[in-house]
Amino acid sequence: MFRTVLRRELLHNLYSLRFLISLALLIAVFTAGAVSFVRSHAADMEKFRETRGQYLENMRALAGRNASELAVRRQTYTLAPQTSGFIADAKEKYLPNALVYSAWNVFSFQNRSGSANPFLEKFDELSWTFISALVLSFVALLFTFDAVAGEKEAKTLALSLANSVSRGTILAAKLASAVLSVLAIALAGVLTSLLIVVALGSEGLSAPLAAEVLGFLPVAGLLAATFAAFGLLASVISRNSNVSLLLALSFWLVFAVVIPNSSTFLAKTLFPIDSAETIQKNVDAAFDDLNKNAPPGSWMMNSGNPFLPQHELRANLQTKRLAAEKGIRDAYYQSMFLQFERTRLVTSVSPVALFEVLTEAVTGGGYLRFRKAWTDMRVYQEQFLSFFKALDAADKGSPHWFNPSENVSTTRLPVAFEKVPQFEERPMSFADRVGPVLRYLLINVFVLGAVYFLAFVLFVRYDVR
Amino acid sequence: MIATLAKKEFLTNLVAPRFVIGFVLCLVLIPFSLLINISGYRERVAQYRIDHEAAEKAADEVRVYSFLRPEIVLPPEPLAVFGKGVSDQVGNRVRILLGDKPLLAEGKTAAGDNPFLASFFSVDFVDIAAIVFSLLALIFSYDAFSREKEDGTLKLQMANKLGRSTALAGKLLGILATLLPVVAFSFLLGGLLILFSRDVPFAAGEWGRIALLFGASLVYLAVFVFLGLLVSTRSRSSVTSLVVCLLLWVVLVFVVPAVSSNFAGSFFAASSRDNLDRVLKDIDKQRDDAISAAFKAQGIPEGYSCWWCWNDADGRMETYGNPREEFEKFRRRAAVSEPIRLEYADKKWAPAKAYLDSLARQARAAERLSFLSPTGLFRTAAAALCRTDLAAHERRMELARRYRETFVAWLRGKQIFSSFRWITPADPAAFKTEDELVTLRTGGEFKTARELEDWASKQTDARAHWIKVSQVKVAGDRPDDFPFLDVSDMPRFEARAAALSEAGPAGLWVMLLLIEAVFLFYAGYVAFIRYDVR
Repeated sequence: MFRTVLRRELLHNLYSLRFLISLALLIAVFTAGAVSFVRSHAADMEKFRETRGQYLENMRALAGRNASELAVRRQTYTLAPQTSGFIADAKEKYLPNALVYSAWNVFSFQNRSGSANPFLEKFDELSWTFISALVLSFVALLFTFDAVAGEKEAKTLALSLANSVSRGTILAAKLASAVLSVLAIALAGVLTSLLIVVALGSEGLSAPLAAEVLGFLPVAGLLAATFAAFGLLASVISRNSNVSLLLALSFWLVFAVVIPNSSTFLAKTLFPIDSAETIQKNVDAAFDDLNKNAPPGSWMMNSGNPFLPQHELRANLQTKRLAAEKGIRDAYYQSMFLQFERTRLVTSVSPVALFEVLTEAVTGGGYLRFRKAWTDMRVYQEQFLSFFKALDAADKGSPHWFNPSENVSTTRLPVAFEKVPQFEERPMSFADRVGPVLRYLLINVFVLGAVYFLAFVLFVRYDVR
Repeated sequence: MIATLAKKEFLTNLVAPRFVIGFVLCLVLIPFSLLINISGYRERVAQYRIDHEAAEKAADEVRVYSFLRPEIVLPPEPLAVFGKGVSDQVGNRVRILLGDKPLLAEGKTAAGDNPFLASFFSVDFVDIAAIVFSLLALIFSYDAFSREKEDGTLKLQMANKLGRSTALAGKLLGILATLLPVVAFSFLLGGLLILFSRDVPFAAGEWGRIALLFGASLVYLAVFVFLGLLVSTRSRSSVTSLVVCLLLWVVLVFVVPAVSSNFAGSFFAASSRDNLDRVLKDIDKQRDDAISAAFKAQGIPEGYSCWWCWNDADGRMETYGNPREEFEKFRRRAAVSEPIRLEYADKKWAPAKAYLDSLARQARAAERLSFLSPTGLFRTAAAALCRTDLAAHERRMELARRYRETFVAWLRGKQIFSSFRWITPADPAAFKTEDELVTLRTGGEFKTARELEDWASKQTDARAHWIKVSQVKVAGDRPDDFPFLDVSDMPRFEARAAALSEAGPAGLWVMLLLIEAVFLFYAGYVAFIRYDVR
């Protein structure tokens, strides 16, 4: 019986005007998004190649000068533009996308100036995620807002239930048909977009990209199901389709527009962190303390004489300063990560916010990507430091007084750039992607289940006459 | 007759659930957006006070002109509570430098201290108004005729002595009369929240701009009402009309603005910031070479030594306790280097301006493309009215650049680059020779610098020279021996907010919106005249 009802509902949806208009709209928007991505990605890659070339050239020059200079000079490693940004850009152009490091520390992260135009109001890339979050969720509501109330008005609901079909079966079939209809539209859009990106772009369709595309579809299905369940709920709450439409639209406005756009306010109100000025004051206070307690002559320096005895004191002081600042700043960065993650968790009451987190995991981009690069960079920095210390140990002309900030009392021999370990961002594994977002997936399934259950309970009590 | 029809329509709408739900939506979303933005405004004001105080302190606590680099801290715009525009992204601090003209403002953005929050977007009153007002307008107009046609009441009406124009006018007035209180209530609520919050300083000019925003909202509302009526008169059933209206709403309110920004980003590429930085770095190198060449031409040695000196970027130099000849060397260096620095700042401005222009061109392209939707026009007009649009920012940056010229002219007027006061507050009449300083600092133990050097070269402790000359503190050896500079005559930056009479561009955008409304009304009118009411 379920299949019969599902078939009827599905055909009803597929022959409807809303399906045709939604299909045309989605294909148009997916096409616009793909064309836009191909052009902007090519330009971004060109800028990135310039930046990366400059970065390598700079490091090569330092290595040619001397190893200590290479070790102490801060470098800025920029993350490459994401090739699967057309699936989920994860707002990477607004996130920190560059890591500042030396052999001694990973200092900070930043959003490279020029990543986003400050004169242009913030906007979402026309990625599959954005289109789905905005348009597909809306279309899912359009397919369901009058599923019950509309049939009641048309007097077909009572007729249906006069047959030997349970209310549960009808509701489940309505949900399934709405999800399948929305997915059919999404699939058309996705294929169109993929075709354009593969045909016009320079990347081609690789196996990881194909896996990401396949991973996107079930997540989009989950989004469609959640909004379809909201639509059904609106439909069973009200007695006529006008009211259910307004309720569904209100749900949509709150969950797709208001909650995701209240995150900054929620973050600052619920999870405040110290200001950058306070942290700087703490760092300055720690430096003052170290300076006061440093032995006399700790700041003496003679760049022409590495073996000047005071250079050892200077190296010790600089090492302590680095450790003190690192302790304060790393704790601050942790508070930033926590603020961001907690805010995401709070806003996960919105299926759209959940969907964005899940698609970010599918493509391995955005915040997850940054966190992995941040962790990997720290591992690399340790390797880089070990490499430098080994070089220094081999140089008999070095006093071996490690100074993390200055090229004063360590080896001054040049090093072949090819031998210097390089940081390369590694792609995210399946575990890296799924692990951090598993709870969001469970929340989404729970929200879907809860909304559908509520709709079911109300439908069981619904006066179909 | 029109009044009767309008009254009937108004009363029908008033008792409909859609009115209640629409009203509740406004009641919830409008205060919500305003409270969020009032909180954001308070945060920006608190940050402004900290920054302003720090800037004042920094300007007041310099001892030499060389370190005088005023920082302009722009106060937050109170009208941003209604429409943020780009104000949250462009920064509010401008440092006045000699070697560069102000390019982009600095300072915290809406993300505050956590850069990850920059990936979160936010909505304001204008956004909510653009979304909700358009939705309500369509919800009330999509079935204006198609529903009556389905119910059979339309042909009944038209069977009477009722002109179609009269029926249309009555319908329109009824819908507008229903929506007018909702819009008025939203603005009233907004106004009350501003009044009760007390710390958002609204003067007559600000209230005037809010009144204009109210007017723009009514025009915007009318556009969507006319659009709904047009769709209604072109549809056979109210369900078709509803689906078309809702998808049009999503397209016009959400999709077109997003596509505009994306297309502007892709097809109107902004110049590379990295490239600009490289070009500016090259010009800096040329400048440094020019300075070195000028030093050589004038016989000024490159190297220098000093007793106490602090130098920083942009040619900042502060020095104390030097022998007369070293002070003179520093004075001559500055007299040569600073005019060259100013000259090269003009050269650096050409590529910097090209970069700024490319950013502005991209932003304006996005704005113009978004005019395909009434929402784009409304939001652009609203940002202009709230003084948070790009033009307002450009105006402020232009004022900052003009202030830099005034500041430089003030420095030049004092002929300060060739004065000792550029590098030290010490009185030139009190400058001493190196030998005199050695005698004073060693308490008479050494009479000449040569004598001290000879002695120090025989010591094993590298600090020996330093220890000897630190025995006696000589007045004028350190910054603390001098008071701060009196810069009461320094020109100050005055930020002047654009007056109500300067809201011209906003008027133009509202006019375009009005033309759109008239066009849609006419199209709806023609469609209704031809409408088959059976």
